[in-house]
Parts: sequence; C-alpha cells; structure tokens
Amino acid sequence: MLNKKEKLPTPEVNFDSAREMSRYLNEPEAMYVGAPGKHGYLRMGFELDKEGKSIMRDLERRAPLIVQQELYFDEKMPEMPCVYILSSGGPNIDGDRYRQDITVKKDAFAWISTGAATKLAEMKYNYSGLIQNIVLEDNAYLEFMPEPVIPCRHTRFISDTRLSVAETATVFYSEIYMGGRKYYKEGELFEYDVLSVCSHGERPDGKQLFREKFVIDPNVEHPRNLGVMGKFDVFANVIVMTPPDKASEIYEKTQVFIDKKNKLAAGITRLPNNAGLLYKVLGMEPAPVKKMVRDFCSLVRLAVKGKEVPAEFPWR
Amino acid sequence: MSQPNDMIKVMRLLQFTDSQFPVGTFSFSNGLETASFEKIVTNAETLEEFVRSQSHQAAFSDGVACLHAYRAYKAGDYEKCKEIDHYLYGFKMNDEARQMGTRMGKKLAELGVKLYSDPFVKEWLDAISKGETPGMYPVAQGIMFALAGVSEKDLFCSHQYGVINMVLGAALRCVKVSHYDTQLILEKLSDDIERLYNEAAVMDLNDMNAFYPELDILASLHEKGNMRMFMN
Repeated sequence: MLNKKEKLPTPEVNFDSAREMSRYLNEPEAMYVGAPGKHGYLRMGFELDKEGKSIMRDLERRAPLIVQQELYFDEKMPEMPCVYILSSGGPNIDGDRYRQDITVKKDAFAWISTGAATKLAEMKYNYSGLIQNIVLEDNAYLEFMPEPVIPCRHTRFISDTRLSVAETATVFYSEIYMGGRKYYKEGELFEYDVLSVCSHGERPDGKQLFREKFVIDPNVEHPRNLGVMGKFDVFANVIVMTPPDKASEIYEKTQVFIDKKNKLAAGITRLPNNAGLLYKVLGMEPAPVKKMVRDFCSLVRLAVKGKEVPAEFPWR
Repeated sequence: MSQPNDMIKVMRLLQFTDSQFPVGTFSFSNGLETASFEKIVTNAETLEEFVRSQSHQAAFSDGVACLHAYRAYKAGDYEKCKEIDHYLYGFKMNDEARQMGTRMGKKLAELGVKLYSDPFVKEWLDAISKGETPGMYPVAQGIMFALAGVSEKDLFCSHQYGVINMVLGAALRCVKVSHYDTQLILEKLSDDIERLYNEAAVMDLNDMNAFYPELDILASLHEKGNMRMFMN
C-alpha cells in the first residue's frame, strides 16, 4: 500500500493557483489529493472508419472513470456512436482530480452523456477539480449532454473546459447545475462553498474566441439575489459552437421567455467573434430544464445534421 | 502631459463621469427595460437589487479590465491594452452588451483625441477604426483616466458610478420610482465600493467572472424582442 511519502507524480489537474480555491488547499486526512482512484482520466477519440462509420477508435481510462464501448441506440440517428461516462467512485469527493480529453476527428460525430447525475460531496480540506479538452476537427459534430451536477453542503468544485473547434465543426456542450440537494433533510440549496466553472472556445490555430467564467460563492454573492438565480433553483448553460449560417438558423427558431406560471425561463445570445450561440435555462426542477436542453439540442441537430433528437428514455 | 494638480484631477473625474459626457450612456438600460416589462423590477426595493447585481457583475469584469488598461497605459504597454480589449470582448457573452461596449468605447476614444494630444490615444482610435481591436469602453476608460492623471481608485469609482447611474437613469423612465428613490439607492450602493475595488484590484484577467443568469436571460429577451426605448 502506498503511504503519503510515496506519492505518484503530481497530477496534471491542479487549480491550486486559482484565487477562489486559495482557502481550500489542505491535504485531506483520508486519501491524499490525486491518490489512485481519486485521479480519473479519460481519453476518447472518435473518427470515421474505412466504411465511413463513426466509431470510438481511441479509449483510455483511469479509475474511477469508466467508459465501455460505444453503442448505437439513437433512433433518429442510428449511425451515431453514443457513450456514457460512468464513475465507479460514486460522488466526486474531497481532493478528487479529473481530466477528460475528447477528440472528434474530421467528419466524425458522437454523443456523450453521463450515466447518472454527478454528485459533488461535502468537502472539508480540499476541492474537486476537472479539466476537459474537447477538440473537433473539420466538419466534426459532438453532442455533449451530461446529467445534472448536484453540489452538496460545503462542496468546492472547479472546472476548466477548453473547446477547440474548427470553423466547419459543431459542438453542443451543455451543463446543468442544481442548487443543491433540494429535498435532503430540511433542503440544502446553495449551501456549497464555491463552484467555479470556466469554458473557453478557440480555433485549432489557437485563436481565442470567448471565455465564460462563473465563480459562485454563496457567502459573497447569494445566488438568490435578483439577477443571479432569483427565485429559480436549477440552471442550464449550453454552448453551441457552429458556423454562422447554422447559428443564425438556430437563433431564429429558439424561443426565449420568462414563464412565471411554470417557473421556467430561457434565453439565447450570440457568442463573441462569430463562435456560435449561448443558451441558458432557469427552472425549479431538473426534468423540465433537461427537456429544454434536449429540445434545444434537437434544433441544433436539425440545422446541422437534418435530424431530430429522439425523446428521452422514460427511465432517465 | 504634465501632472495636473488635485483640483484639476477632481474636475476631470467629474467631467468623465458626468451623464452629459457624450458617450451615450442614456441610450442603454442594461436589461432594465425588459425587467420592468416582465414585472421583475417593479419598485424601489427590486430596483435596488437589480442595480446591485449589475454593479457587482460589472466590478469583476469591466472593473477588472479598466484597472488593467489603466496600468498598461501607465507602463506605456500598447500591446497589453489590445490584449485586455480582446479578452474583455471575448468575455462579454451578451451580444447587446458587446455592442454597447464598442459603441461607447469608440466615442470615448474619439473624445480622447479631441481633448488631449496624446499619441497613444490617437493610435488607439486608429486601431479601433481599422478593426484591429474591438475598442471596449472600460479599456478606453482606463487609458483616458491614466493619461488625464486621475487615480486608479477614482477610475474604479467612476466606472461603478457609470454602471449604477446608467440603470438608475433608465429607471426614471421605465420603473415607478422617484428621484429620491434612485438617489437613496445610489447612496446605499456606494457602501460596497471599497470591498469591490479591493477585490477587483488584485484580480488577473483570468480571474474575471460573472454569474448572473437571470440578467442574461433578461438581456436575451430584449435582444430578441421589440422593446426599443433603450438599446439594451
């Protein structure tokens, strides 16, 4: 068994220099930061095979992240390889580090989700960090639509997602954040310590297009404030990088509204530098928000691939 | 330019911050027009909450950028100003906010050229006109304040006052509030300024952040809607 002095090399996922994490840099008493099983790595590469079928050619994984083979279960797009990312470790806990590198090569396409919601456990010493690199070559297409993220009391979570996307490619990248375990005990909304989420888009030559960063620290600026989450509990953020003509088509078809009766709101805007679109949804429960995100994905798929997204499985 | 004395500095601070300073602040409501229409902002209390969110959102994005531009001008680092400008433009997720930023930024650069014979500002305006840099307002503010000899803290106050006063000015035209209400809100929000400055002053560009999804959705409704008393 490894003891603390025989640490593996420092994990390449390190947010210790982030200002918002500076208060959370203690070594956990239990498993140390980045110990085996606490430092997940996933590398997935999709490409067309000789027959022109989109397949997952490349797969490397390190516990607790698990991906099995790709499946072709999308009824409206049966040629689409579909992959669920699973975690054998349960929730993300104190001192966990994750890295996910996803490449979709020229003309290939894929759909990625998670098997269940990502739970972020209560943390006492350190934080949980995630780095993602998502690379799309010419004319590639990716729908990245994970289940919601659920932070707990005293969760500290930080992520950095780099989207490197060719001008002719399209990525649909969604994230859904719950306010917390709403129905746990007396209710646990917005009791986390900090969520720091950064997504930035660039071209393959490195030209930076946009950068969005949230730092949500309920002790500094409460999410309940008007203009932040207001009265809403669930938040979805969707980045769509796509060519300008597709972006315009999707933009025109997307409804924006604040529905006070059903407590649901949605908005869309154009990303800087003709990078694509940014879609946001606010709601009270995950199901209606997930449906909005899925319906929006259908508009994207229709504009780019000429096909709809099928209805969600009833058990999801 | 020789360093102006303290009284001249105050005059310049007032001049750059005044709502008559012709950069067009009166044309914008920062989503208030929609918030009022949607009955999210209906009175002085909700207006105060709305303006506070606007002020805090700006502090850790525009506020950080204007401080960096101020320091870059002082260091004579023209390229750094461009880098800050591109960075801020790429950070503005809302289309109408980008339009507001570039319109006001260009107007301020034009004024800068008229008010001061400074080669840096001349070059800056040329770069905007040629499309080499987006020309965001907070960057122009940083440059102007630095060249006018006004302090960094005064720049931050002016930036915050500008954001708050823009929305309060719009409020008098689209929310049922009085001049007394808006002055009271301004008075209350001023209490936050020191904390905001202390945080923004030590932030790198990478630290810029904003989480205001409700404001974003309101901005989107304005962008796609047909309300046009204000440009955002």
